[in-house]
Amino acid sequence: MSTTLDLASARNFGPDDRLDGLEESDFAASGTSIPSVEGVETGPRRNLRKATLDEKFNVIGAAVAAVALTTLLFGWFTPLTGVVGWVIVAFLLFLGLYVLLVALRSDRQEVKDRVMTALLVSAGVALFSALVFVVAYALIRGREALPHLNFFTQTMELAGPLDPLSLGGIVHAIVGSLIQIGIALVITIPLGITTAVFLNEIGGRFARFVRTIADAMTALPSIVAGLFVYAAIIQLITHQRSGFAAAMAITVMMLPIVIRASDVVLRLVPGNLREASYALGSTRWSTVWHVVLPTARSGLVTAVILGTARGIGETSPVLLTSGVTAVLNFNPFSGPMISLPLQVFDFVKSPEPNMVARGFGTAAVLLLLVLGLFTVARLIGGRGPGQLSDRQRRAAVAASAGDLQRMSARPLDERVEAPALPIAPQSPAPSSTAPTSSEETSQ
Amino acid sequence: MTPHTRLIRFIGILFAATVFAGAAAAGAPQSARAATYTPISGTGSTWSQNALDQWRKNVAANYGMTVNYSGTGSSAGRRDFIAGTVDFAVSEIPFQTAPEDGSAPEKPASGFAYMPIVAGGTSFMYNLKIGGKRVSNLRLGGETITKIFTGKITNWNDPQIAADNPGLAMPNKAIVPVVRSDGSGSTAQFTLWMSKQFPTLWNSFCTLVNRATPCGLTSQYPTYGNAKAQSGSLGVAGYVSQDYGEGAITYVEYSYALKSGFPVAKVLNAAGYYIEPTAPSVAVALLKAAINTTPSSPQYLTQILDGVYNNADPRTYPLSSYSYMIVPTAVAGIFNTAKGNTLGAFTSYMLCEGQQQAAALGYSPLPMNLVLAGFDQIKRIPGAGSANVDPNACNNPTFKKGDSPTNNQLAVTAPQPAACDKQGPNQCTTGTAGAAKTTTAITGTGTGGSATGGVASAGAAATTTTAAAGAGDAPAYDANGALVSGAAASAGSAVSSTPFTLASATFGAQQATMLAAGGLLVLAVILPPVLSRRLRRSGSANGK
Amino acid sequence: MSKIDAPPVRRSLVSAPSRSDSAFKAVTFTAGVTTVGIMLAVGLFLSIRAGAALKVSGFSFLIEQQWSPDTRVFGIAAILFGTISIAIIAMCVAVPLAIGTALLISEVAVGRLKSFLVSMVDLMAAVPSVVYGLWGLFFLQANVIPVSQWISTYFAWIPFFRVSDASGQSLTEASAFTSSAFIAGIVVGLMVVPTQTSVMREAFSQAPIGEREGALALGSTRWGMIRTVVIPFGRGGIIGGTMLGLGRALGETIAVYMIISPIFTINWQLLKTGTNSVSALIALRYGEASDFGLSALMAAGLVLFIITLIVNFTASTIVARSRSGAETG
Repeated sequence: MSTTLDLASARNFGPDDRLDGLEESDFAASGTSIPSVEGVETGPRRNLRKATLDEKFNVIGAAVAAVALTTLLFGWFTPLTGVVGWVIVAFLLFLGLYVLLVALRSDRQEVKDRVMTALLVSAGVALFSALVFVVAYALIRGREALPHLNFFTQTMELAGPLDPLSLGGIVHAIVGSLIQIGIALVITIPLGITTAVFLNEIGGRFARFVRTIADAMTALPSIVAGLFVYAAIIQLITHQRSGFAAAMAITVMMLPIVIRASDVVLRLVPGNLREASYALGSTRWSTVWHVVLPTARSGLVTAVILGTARGIGETSPVLLTSGVTAVLNFNPFSGPMISLPLQVFDFVKSPEPNMVARGFGTAAVLLLLVLGLFTVARLIGGRGPGQLSDRQRRAAVAASAGDLQRMSARPLDERVEAPALPIAPQSPAPSSTAPTSSEETSQ
Repeated sequence: MTPHTRLIRFIGILFAATVFAGAAAAGAPQSARAATYTPISGTGSTWSQNALDQWRKNVAANYGMTVNYSGTGSSAGRRDFIAGTVDFAVSEIPFQTAPEDGSAPEKPASGFAYMPIVAGGTSFMYNLKIGGKRVSNLRLGGETITKIFTGKITNWNDPQIAADNPGLAMPNKAIVPVVRSDGSGSTAQFTLWMSKQFPTLWNSFCTLVNRATPCGLTSQYPTYGNAKAQSGSLGVAGYVSQDYGEGAITYVEYSYALKSGFPVAKVLNAAGYYIEPTAPSVAVALLKAAINTTPSSPQYLTQILDGVYNNADPRTYPLSSYSYMIVPTAVAGIFNTAKGNTLGAFTSYMLCEGQQQAAALGYSPLPMNLVLAGFDQIKRIPGAGSANVDPNACNNPTFKKGDSPTNNQLAVTAPQPAACDKQGPNQCTTGTAGAAKTTTAITGTGTGGSATGGVASAGAAATTTTAAAGAGDAPAYDANGALVSGAAASAGSAVSSTPFTLASATFGAQQATMLAAGGLLVLAVILPPVLSRRLRRSGSANGK
Repeated sequence: MSKIDAPPVRRSLVSAPSRSDSAFKAVTFTAGVTTVGIMLAVGLFLSIRAGAALKVSGFSFLIEQQWSPDTRVFGIAAILFGTISIAIIAMCVAVPLAIGTALLISEVAVGRLKSFLVSMVDLMAAVPSVVYGLWGLFFLQANVIPVSQWISTYFAWIPFFRVSDASGQSLTEASAFTSSAFIAGIVVGLMVVPTQTSVMREAFSQAPIGEREGALALGSTRWGMIRTVVIPFGRGGIIGGTMLGLGRALGETIAVYMIISPIFTINWQLLKTGTNSVSALIALRYGEASDFGLSALMAAGLVLFIITLIVNFTASTIVARSRSGAETG
C-alpha cells in the first residue's frame, strides 16, 4: 500500500509544485525540515493545459479561413467537387493556415507542438465521428423497434416475420448473451490473468513459448474458434448446440486477447516497484498480489474489457455453436440459446423491413448493454493505482497535514530519529499551511 | 475496501449470477412449453427461413409447439441431419449420394424422407435506367438469362435483350451480374435450371471457370468476368438497389425485390409469355412437378422439375421450384416418437394452414400434387400418427374440399397473362414486383400495353425520339454532378438520379485555368500576412 | 527473516521458496499449461482436419490461386493475398488513428473528457461486426467510391491504384470500384482502432512521470515531451496494440464477408472489385462445403495461423527489445 501511495503523490504533483524550492541543504542540516519558498526564484509559470486567447484565436481563425476558402474553391474557382474532397481540402488548408498563424508569433518548436496537437485532436475527432456515425446508423435504422417496450420484455417466440413491431422482443437474446459472456468471463479472467502473470513473473523458456502461442492465437479467425468447438464439443460430446458450447467458443477467442492485453500492461509495471517489494522481503506471491496486480489494475480491467467487447460483439464463433431459437432459455447446457450478435445477424437477413428494424434495434440494445457493463467495470476496477477518488484525495491530504502538524510539534532533538517525511500529496490547501508551520519550527 | 477484494467481489457476483441463472433454468423452460408437444429443432436452408420463422411463431402461438429453426445453409442442414444433431433439416437439394468432388457420399445412418414445404420462383431483380428513368418492365428469355449469367451477354444493348424488349431502347451500359458469394439454395435452384434447359451454354461456362463437365447444379456460383459476388440475399439485393448498382441484375427471392422497391424481370415460358414470378404463376407451374417414386433410384422421392420448366400453361413462371424438409422415418439418436408427434403436427400445419401465408411471405403456396406427396411422407414419421393427412380437411389456398391434383381451384382460378406479355412487338408498360406502381414509358420500337388492360393501347406506341437518343449516348454531367447522391433507392419511384462518373480523365486547358485560379486564391489569402511580416522585419532592420 | 543470532551457521544465499511461493508458481504454471493446452488443441485440431486436404494438394496449396476443392484444384495464394492486402489497408487506416487518439487521450485530454473518451473507445470495441458490415455496405461504400475513382484517376501510375480491365483499359464506372479490398480495409480498419487505441493508451499513460517532468522542465514543448519520452517508452504498447489489431484484421469474418466480392485470382488493383479473405471464405463456404471442402477450409485457416505466428513472433522480439518491454522482461 505504501508503494501505491508514493506513486499517488508523484502523480498529484503538478509540474509547478516542484518548483517550490526543495533544497537538499535543508535536509542535511537538521534532519527533517520544511522547505520554504522564500527567496527562491521561480520563473514565469508555463501553462501546459489551458489555451490562451491568442492560441484560441489561431485555431478559430484558421478554421474559419479554411472553411471559407474551401467553399470558394469548390463553388467558384476550381473543378473540385464532392463532399469527401471538400473535407480533405478544408482540413489541409486549415493545417496550412494554422501553421502560418502560429508561425507569426512563435518559434519552430512551438509550431511543431501546435501542429502535432492539432493532428492528434483531428485524429481523435475523425475516429470518434466515424464511430459515432456507426452507432448512430444502428440507432437510426433501429429507431422503429426501440420505442416499443415489448421489444425489451418479450421473446420472439410469439412473433414472426409478418407481425408488427408491437409484438415480440429480444429478451431471450439478452439473457443468452449475458449467460454466455458470464461463463466465458468466469473462465477467461482467472485463466487469462494468471497466465499473463506467469509470463511476466515466472518467465523462462516455457513462458516465452506460451507467449508466442497466445500471441499467435490472437489472429485465429474467430470462425475457426467456432468450428473447433463445433467439432470438438458439439459433434463429440453434447450432440446439440447449446449456450455452453457458444461460451466455450467465445472463451477460445477471448483468452488470447485477454492474455495479450494483460501481458502488455503487466510488462509496464515499473521494475523498481517489484524490486522494492522484494527488498522488503516479501515473497513472489505477495509481491504479485500486493504490488504488481494493484499497479496494473486499470490496465487489467482494460484487458478484460477488450476481451469482453470482442466476445460479446462477435457473431462468427456463435454462428456454429449456439443454435438459433426464439425461446427464452436459461439453461446453457441444453437446447439452443441465441445471443445478441447472432440475433442481429439472423434478423437482418430477412426480407421483411420489420425484421431488419428489429435487427438494428438489437444491435443498439447490445451497445447499450455493453456500455452498462463497461461503466460498471470501470467503476469497480478502473482507477489506476495513483488515481484517487475525490474523497480519498481529501482524506490523504488531511492525513498528511495531520502528520506535518504532529512532526512539527515535536522537539528538535527527537526529530533526528524520526522517519523521513514521506512526500505528502500536496494540494493548495496544505501547502499554504506549510510555510507557517516551518516558520514556527525554525525559531 | 481494498482494490482486489472489490475485484474478487465483482467476479463473485458474476459467478453467482451465472450459477443462479443456471439453477433457474431447471424450472423455467418446462413451465414455458406446453405439455403435449416436445420441442424440436432443425437447421438448413436460408431460402426457406422466412416462411419457417412465421410458421414457427404460428404453431407456438396456437398450439404451444416449440420449433427452433436456424438458417445455416442447406448443406450444413444436411450435415447436421447426418450427424444427428437436429430433428429435421431443410434443403433445396437432396443428399448428394455421388458428390461431384468424390468425397464420401452423404448418407444418413437411419431412414429419412423428403417432404416439399414451400415453393418459390427464382426471380431476377435489376436496376436499369433509360434516360434517367427506371425501367420496371424488363422481359428476358431463358437463353438470354443464361447468357447474361454465363458472361456471353455483357451489355444491355445486346440484340438478344433488345429482341426480348421491343418497347425499350436498351442503353449502352455494361451488365453487372450479381451472384451469391455464399453457398445457397437459390444458386442451386438457378444453376439446376440452367444445366437442364441450356446444357451447352452451361457446360461451356463450366469449362471456362475450370469446373468438370458435364456439370449439374452447384450451390456456389463461380465468379467470372464482370460479375460481382455478394453474400446472402440481403447482399445481392442491397447491391442492386444502390446507386452504384445501376446496370446490375441478380437472382434473388421475389420477396427481396418486393420489399426493396425494385422490379424483377418477366421470364419467357414455354407458351411464349413473359411472366412475373408471382405466387399463382409459380404454383401453377409446380402443378407439373413430378416426384421420383422409384424406390431403387438413388434420387428416390426427389423432385423432377423438367415438367415445370417446360410447362405449356401460359400462366407459368418457368424457374419455379420448392424446398424440402428432410424428416426422419425412424427413431434414432436424439429423435424419438414424442418429437415425431410434434414434427407430424408441425409439418401437417405447414402443408395446409401455413401455405395461406406463403404469398405474403414472398413465396408461393404448394399446389395439391405436392401437398399430397407431403402427406405420404408425414405418414412415415414415427409417432406422427395423429397428424392430419386428409386433403379434405386441409386449409390450403390452392385447392378446396373435393379437388383432385388434375382439377383444383388453383388450376381454374389462376389469372391469365395479359396479351401484351405475349412474345411479340407489344410490351406491357406496367411495373413488376416492388416497382409495380411504376409504369415504364415506351422507348423502343415496339408497342406498349398494360397488364391490367390486357390490350395494347395504340396511343402508347410512340416510337422513340429524344429519350432513346439520349439513352444511347454517354451522359454528360456538369462538374457538380458528383454532389448528386440521389435518393434513388426510395421505393417505387422512378426518380432520375445522376450517377457519379468522372467527366473524363483528361486534363484540359479549362481545368488548368481553374486550378490556377484556385491556386491564386490561396496565395491571395496567404501572401499578405507573410509579406507584411517580412517587410516589417526588414523595415525594422533598416531602421536600426 | 533470517536468524541473526546464530552466527556460526553459514548463511545460504539461495533461499528456499516459501510455501505460498511454490503454490503460486504451481498455479501460474498450471494456468500457462492450460492455456497452451487449449491453444494447441485448436492448432492440433486444425492440423488434423487440414491434413486430408493438404495431402491431396501438397505444396501447390501455397501457389495455386483457384479454390475448387471439388475438382481438387485449390490453393491459397489469391485468398492469402486478399487477406493480407485487406489487413495492410486496415493497418494504414487504423494505426495512425489509433496512435493519434491514444496520445490525445493520454496526453491532451483531461478530466471528464478523458474518462468519457476512454469509455467511448471501449464501447466502440464492442460494436457488433455485423453492424460495421451493414454500415460499410449500405453507407460507406457509396461514399468511398468517388474517392476510389479520384485516386485511380490521378494516381494510376502507381500499380496498386490502377483500375483497369483485362485488356489494360482504365475503368471509371462506379461499378468497377465496389466491394474492393480498399473498402473492406477501411471498414476493418475502423473496427480495429478501438482495440489498438486501448492498448496504446494504457502503455502511454505508464510513461514515467519523472521523465515527462524532466523533459518539460528542460523546456521542451508538449509534443517534444511526447516524442522523446512517451513514444519511445510506449513503443512496446504501440507494437503490441498493432499486433492485436492486426490479429483481428486478419481474422475478421462477418464485416468482410458482407462487403467483399470474393474472387480467386490475385488482384493487385486494390481499388478494383474483388478480393478475398480466409475467414470470410470459411464463413461463405462452410455451410455448403463437403467434408473435403471443409478440410481445405481448415488448411486455409491453418496457413493464416502460421503466418500470424511468424508475424507475431517478429513483433514480440521487437517488443522485448523496446524499453517498456525490456524493463521487466
